[in-house]
Order: sequence, then C-alpha cells, then structure tokens
Amino acid sequence: MKAHSIPLKRIAITRSGDKGDVSNIGIIAFSDALYRLLLERLTLERVKQHFKGMVKGDVAFYPMDNIGAVQIVMRGALGGGATKTLRFDQTGKSMGVLIQSLEIPFSDEELALIPDRPPFER
Amino acid sequence: MNQQSTPAGARRRDKVRLGAGAGYWGAEMEGPLKLATSGAIDYLCFDQLAELTMSLLERQRMKNPELGYIPDLASHVEKLLPVMRDRGVKVITNAGGTNCPSAMTMALAIAGRLGFGGMKIAAVSGDNVTGLIDPLLQQGWKFTNLDTGDDRIEDIRERIVSAHAYVGAEGIVEALDGEADLVIAGRVSDNALYVGPLMHEFGWSYEPEFVDRIGSAIAIGHIVECAELVCGGMSNLWKVSDRPWEIGFPIAEVQADGSAIVTKLPGTGGVVNEWTVKEHLVYEVHDPRRYMMPDGVADLTSLRLEDLGEDRVRVSGGRGAPRPDTLKVQVGYMDGFIAEGTFLVGGPDVLAKVRKAREIFEGLLARAGIVPIDLRYDRIGIDAISGDMFADPAEDSVRECGLRIAVRVRTREEANIARGHMLRVTLYGPVGLGWGPPAAVRPVISLWPTLIPRDAVKLQVDVRRAA
Repeated sequence: MKAHSIPLKRIAITRSGDKGDVSNIGIIAFSDALYRLLLERLTLERVKQHFKGMVKGDVAFYPMDNIGAVQIVMRGALGGGATKTLRFDQTGKSMGVLIQSLEIPFSDEELALIPDRPPFER
Repeated sequence: MNQQSTPAGARRRDKVRLGAGAGYWGAEMEGPLKLATSGAIDYLCFDQLAELTMSLLERQRMKNPELGYIPDLASHVEKLLPVMRDRGVKVITNAGGTNCPSAMTMALAIAGRLGFGGMKIAAVSGDNVTGLIDPLLQQGWKFTNLDTGDDRIEDIRERIVSAHAYVGAEGIVEALDGEADLVIAGRVSDNALYVGPLMHEFGWSYEPEFVDRIGSAIAIGHIVECAELVCGGMSNLWKVSDRPWEIGFPIAEVQADGSAIVTKLPGTGGVVNEWTVKEHLVYEVHDPRRYMMPDGVADLTSLRLEDLGEDRVRVSGGRGAPRPDTLKVQVGYMDGFIAEGTFLVGGPDVLAKVRKAREIFEGLLARAGIVPIDLRYDRIGIDAISGDMFADPAEDSVRECGLRIAVRVRTREEANIARGHMLRVTLYGPVGLGWGPPAAVRPVISLWPTLIPRDAVKLQVDVRRAA
C-alpha cells in the first residue's frame, strides 16, 4: 500500500476567527467518509507542527459530527490578540487559509474518496 | 404600528422573520434597506461591535460625553425610519456602544424632526461595569484573565479605559414589551439581538422548559449575526457566489419550536446553502457543545441542517442548557503604542536589502535608546501571512516585495521617534527602497477578558416616544 499526502484543501473547506489571543479554525469536510478520515488523521501533532512558529499555546480539537466538521482551537496564536498584535493579519483570518496546505496521509484506495471538485462547485 | 399589548408568556406570532442588517462597524445600508422594504421581515438587527470597539467608543465618550455610540447610527436611523413605519419593521441594534442614552436622544431628535412622532425608541444600558471592579475586588472577586490566567488585574487598574459585560436579551425583551420600535443597546452579545425578539414574540423565558428553544435561538442568531457574510461573503464559495457586489442579506424565518429556515432576499447576489451555513456555524466558536452565551449555552452539535435548494437551509433540532451565573467582561486598558510603516523593496537582491533595512532600523532604535516591547517585520509576498512556515525563496527568484515594519513601544514619544526612523531606513539604506504611505502611530488598547457575577450587573431600559 502506497501512502499519499493530500493537502487539506482537496477534502475540506476552512474558516478561521479570533477571540482575544485565541484563533479557531473550523475544518468542514466534503463528505462523511472524509470527515471520519479527518478525525483519525488530523492529529494535534500535525496541527502544532504546521503552526509551530505562530502558535505558542495549547491546541484542542472539538468534533462536530452533525456537520462533518472539526473545530481547532489554538491558544496564544495571535501575538497577544487583535488589538495589540503586530501581525499584519490582526485577527488571523488567514489562519484558515494557511491550514489548507496541511498534508493528510491517504492510502491508495482512499484516494477515491477525494472529489474532483468541491461539492458546491458541481 | 404598535401592537396591542399582550400578556407576558403569550405567543404573538406563529413564526418570526428576522433580518440581519450588519455584522460590523462601517456596514453599508443598501442591502439592509432592501431587506426591510421587500423581505417581509418583522425585525432588522444590527451588530456593529467587535471586541475592541467598546474601548474605542469609550475613548470618544471621555472626550465628549455626548459621544460613545457608533456615529453611523444617525444616518442609519434617518434612512430606516420611513421603512420602519411603512413596513412595520422593528429595528434592534447594539450601535449604542458605550452611550445608549445619548444615542437614544439623538434618534428621538431625528424622528421628531423628520415627522416620525409617536415612534418609540428604547435605550438598554447597564453593561458598563467599570464602576463594579473596585467594589467586587474588595469583596474578594478575582477578575482572572481568561486568556492568560493572570489574576492580578490590580496591575493594570490605573490604565483601564473600559469594562463592559456581554449581557443577554432581557433588556431587549423589556424594551419590546414596552412597544419600542427601535431598540438601541450596547454590549449585548451579538446573538442576543436575535434571541430578544424571539423571546418577546414567542413568550419564552429563562425557565427550564425553554432552554432548548433559547439554545436554538442562540444558534440561529450566531448563523446570521455577521449578516451578509453567511450569504457567500468571506467564503470558500467565492467562485460560485453570484454577483458579490449585490450580495444579499440573510433572513431567518423562525418557528415557535426554535427551528428556522435561513435564506436571503430573493433576486440578490451571493449564495446561501448548507456550506455557507456550516462556514458560519464554525466561525469564532470554541467548544461547539457548549457555546456559552449570556442567554444560555447552545449545543451547536445538536443542529440538523437540511439544504432545501434555492438559497434556503432548514436548521432544526437545537438544544441548550441554562444560562451561566457569570457574564463575560471585556476590559480594555492602555498598553503602549504601535508605529507601523510599509514600503517597497525593488530587486535585485531583495532579500539582502531587507536584511540591511532591518539592521539599519534596529541601529536607529538603539541609537535613540528605544527597547521595543515587540518588533516585527513582514516581507509582503514572501512571509507576511505564512511567517516562518516555508523556507525563503531563492534570492534571484524574487523580483520585489513589500516590507512592513511594526514596533510596539511604551510611550507615544518613542513611537513617534520610531515612525521617523522608518522613513530613514529608506533614506540611509540601499537603493531601490520605495516608500509608500507615511508610517503611522496608534495607541494600543489591550483586552483583559474576564468574568463577573451575573447578579452584579443591573440593566436599565428606558423607552420614550418621539415628540
């Protein structure tokens, strides 16, 4: 079995927001099967590693089975929060885009789960 | 246009149509006015406060005691009054900011001048808890910083600009029970703008039997509170969003059981489907099973979404838990100054020129004896968004970049010196550094998120009829 690395953008959409110094990213999978795969493969370690230079605090996941989404909550993520940070992107709206390049391992047969295009572009 | 007064607890309508008019300060009025004119809505709700806004408005109020509300409110009221009368639409806004009484006086004057006598306008105040900090500290309450765990608020006490509690819908309900046509509130939670009219219309209370319906209302409020942003704004669906320049504003048609259909005004641009609703369901939520709000705790994982097509999504199954005994408070305090400048770096040797520019800036700061609290460089086009996530490109592959320098220092004097030195980086350094807009200095208001006992916060509701 050959392993493949699939960027998140091919299997989910994302949106990020801020509360103080906490950045959250909602990852919404394109299907139930991809959601289950995401729950298994989108590990805290992978996310921490992806944002290692940016996120200083804890990272937590909250699953939303009802909409096939995972909520990622990252503390100490915005340079102190929108009002005092020196980040150009003060509120971390770009965090949701940055995570789209995170690579998720897929097996050969799992590649069939990936749609040619997002379900809303059909 | 006022309804007959109805006993508390009685249902006034079978369904309520809520329109969302704004999710930010600076929103335009064309969309909301269309919604009020032809959306057959009962209420139009405006959220214009972000986390920092109360501190900005409080600084304005300290300079002039008649200010402190969102200045746009005056022109909004003027534009909304005719359609409120003609269509019987009631308006609920948090644009009262830190001075709802003054905003009400302004709105009453406009209504009187334009011939809308009889219109009832309400101010909901009491969210300003600055005066409660010292007495509660003396009673042993710890205003622990929810972000950092720091419980020494005494250390910033002298620098506090504002402290406002996120209050729930009860003031809005009282104002609507008092037959207000326009409710001007301050720091109510964003979704309380939507929970309030539902509680009023359906006769809900905070009694246990209503927790699931209030949980549903919080979820629905959350879905539409950023207004047009659930209709394909700021969206992954940007390729399929129809005519974004004519983006529609959302309508939530809510049933008495707390279920709703989320849609937008027909014929407008944008898109509403299960994906745009999901995008908003995850927006700025931490634990989705316990989305904690002053009116209750919504379980966002209990919701069922059903895409009905044609820009309609049914939302049902919402559950909730009783409202917490504490309210979240956002304390704003002065915390130094930021100087910020951006200029362009032309090739060849872009990356080397940036390194030299940094060296010069830091040399100038050291010469001035300035030790920054925080210092950051962004190479726009290379790492302004991604930081150190990726390795640098090869020097000869970079044609040009923007260089942004931002520095936080303790005093305005230091910030002004740093701003001057930003220009000097381009003058004393390599050829090909082009300056753009002048560097700027701004004061920093840091936020100290904390909790306060609910019982300590007393709301005041004032309803008056325009002359």
